[in-house]
Amino acid sequence: MRIAGRAWVFGDDINTDLLYPASCFRLPPAERRWQTLSASRPGWAREVRAGDVLVAGANFGMGSSRPAADNLKDLGIALVTADSINGLFFRNAINSGLPVLEAPGVSRSASEGTLLEADLTEGWVRGGGWELRGRPLPPFLSRILEDGGVLARLAKQGYID
Amino acid sequence: MARPQTQIEKILSSHATEAPGRPVGPEDIVEVTVDRLVLLDMAATHPEFMSHLPHRVQHPERIAWVFDHLVPAPTVELASGLGKLRELARRWGIQEVFDVGRGGISHPLMAERGWVRPGEILANTDSHTCAAGALGCAGRGVGMLEVMSILCTGKTWFKVGGTVRARLEGRLPPGVYGKDLFLALAGTYGGIPGKNLEFQGPGIRDLPVPTRQVVATMGAEIGAEFVLFPPDPQALAYVRSRVPSEETLHPLEADEEAIYEEEWPLALDGLVPLVAEPGRVTRNVKPVEELSHVAVQRAVVGSCANGTLEDLEQVSRILTGRKVHPDVVLTVTPNTNEVFAEASRLGYLETIVRAGGLVTNATCGACFGGHLGVLGDEEVCITSTTRNFQGRMGSPRARIYLGSSATVAASAVTGHLTDPRGLLTEGG
Ligand code: SF4
Repeated sequence: MRIAGRAWVFGDDINTDLLYPASCFRLPPAERRWQTLSASRPGWAREVRAGDVLVAGANFGMGSSRPAADNLKDLGIALVTADSINGLFFRNAINSGLPVLEAPGVSRSASEGTLLEADLTEGWVRGGGWELRGRPLPPFLSRILEDGGVLARLAKQGYID
Repeated sequence: MARPQTQIEKILSSHATEAPGRPVGPEDIVEVTVDRLVLLDMAATHPEFMSHLPHRVQHPERIAWVFDHLVPAPTVELASGLGKLRELARRWGIQEVFDVGRGGISHPLMAERGWVRPGEILANTDSHTCAAGALGCAGRGVGMLEVMSILCTGKTWFKVGGTVRARLEGRLPPGVYGKDLFLALAGTYGGIPGKNLEFQGPGIRDLPVPTRQVVATMGAEIGAEFVLFPPDPQALAYVRSRVPSEETLHPLEADEEAIYEEEWPLALDGLVPLVAEPGRVTRNVKPVEELSHVAVQRAVVGSCANGTLEDLEQVSRILTGRKVHPDVVLTVTPNTNEVFAEASRLGYLETIVRAGGLVTNATCGACFGGHLGVLGDEEVCITSTTRNFQGRMGSPRARIYLGSSATVAASAVTGHLTDPRGLLTEGG
């Protein structure tokens, strides 16, 4: 599963309260995405273009079970790759159909605005002149992503419309 | 001989849909059956859920619905949403609905109602579900989509992480509580994203169940996947007193030779009251005494972790014969209605109210900046809730310090961060 896009680079400890502030719960779904990272990087959500890649440091997505991955997906983020990714965020991302790749060192290697390429199943990410090994996505999880996330899968199995 | 297993590996392996009982280890992905599932009022705010409702659910008798985050509903949308959830519960045949005023915050409530059992797997759409580990139950917070999957299929998957073992020795000194114990670990050892935390050692014996619940609940703050205490006689006695006598329990303990990735020794005797400074708990902790120059305007006691009867007792002990400082607003939230009623009977709530504190209904409320007292710009808060992230409790410009409920009460009295030990002994 190969993905390429322009990088936005963030530091360590980007938590779910930053990705999906409590104010989102009171907003109509279509408006929630604009709150993404509004406390730490105001205006960013409006600059993102569909297909961009979010790069971050350690512990990305730490925090609550709120649907933080959905805000990123709704903004058009094509891939999140970070030095390390919180377990709950990781599963929420896969379930939402948002590709994620854990690649230790990526936040130091990638520079903002440059083009990145990654392969989730082979487990690598590269930019201009560097390549890093990441954690390849096991087939069990790539299948959920390939199905387009859990909703699409449950619909296919006839559980929901 | 089969590979010896940690407590969490044993629970996951016993619930595997393929070859149950076959040992599992780090990096394995295991599909498991889920024993119990808890849904929350927040389900009403998830558009994916509300617009793709499952036609029917597996095992409605293993599902509870708890209205706890935003209750009573502060907006028309949420109030209407709750109405839809009640109707859904009826349609799906879910009996265990803990409606507004009849339950409390899901994690302590589920333990109180005998829904948290050792050796079982419990899922809930909330990250602090690891609270269940206090009773040896593998509790895990999962997202709404995951919950939909469990509703439909009764199954989910977990990636097995490596496990860290915290070895507790000694006893907590007076004035030092579960929150301090947790902060000592987070401050010393830092985060363990993707890994599990298991508690062992002689120090556990003297930790009452509510103290274990604080510690297990807070495990989410160091990024732990699962947090587990062993199902020792105390834990089993707690569960037994809440589960119908004809039902059998299936507690699981770690094998003696189980392989742990890291050992965290902690001597409880030497601990002092601690606080986490704003932003995070990991490696961001100091003794309260060192921060006594920090003035506070807001003080909050409550949340799934620290709104227990023990917390309210500590608060009322400190407030007896004293007043909340004129510059401070103190909010106290019992974590279940049962705790509310009991604290009322014992006079704790009256003491708090007469001292100038505000007592709210059992809800998440202020803990996640939802309602009932969000923080304003530049306000400094000392709280015994669970998270001190920037913006967590309201304004991103507010500053949140985390400590024990006793530390919160003591600071509410003096108007600055205060070690509670002085106020617990003299006077009240
Ligand atoms: S009290 Fe706070 S941490 Fe606990 S479930 Fe509610 S919002 Fe989450």
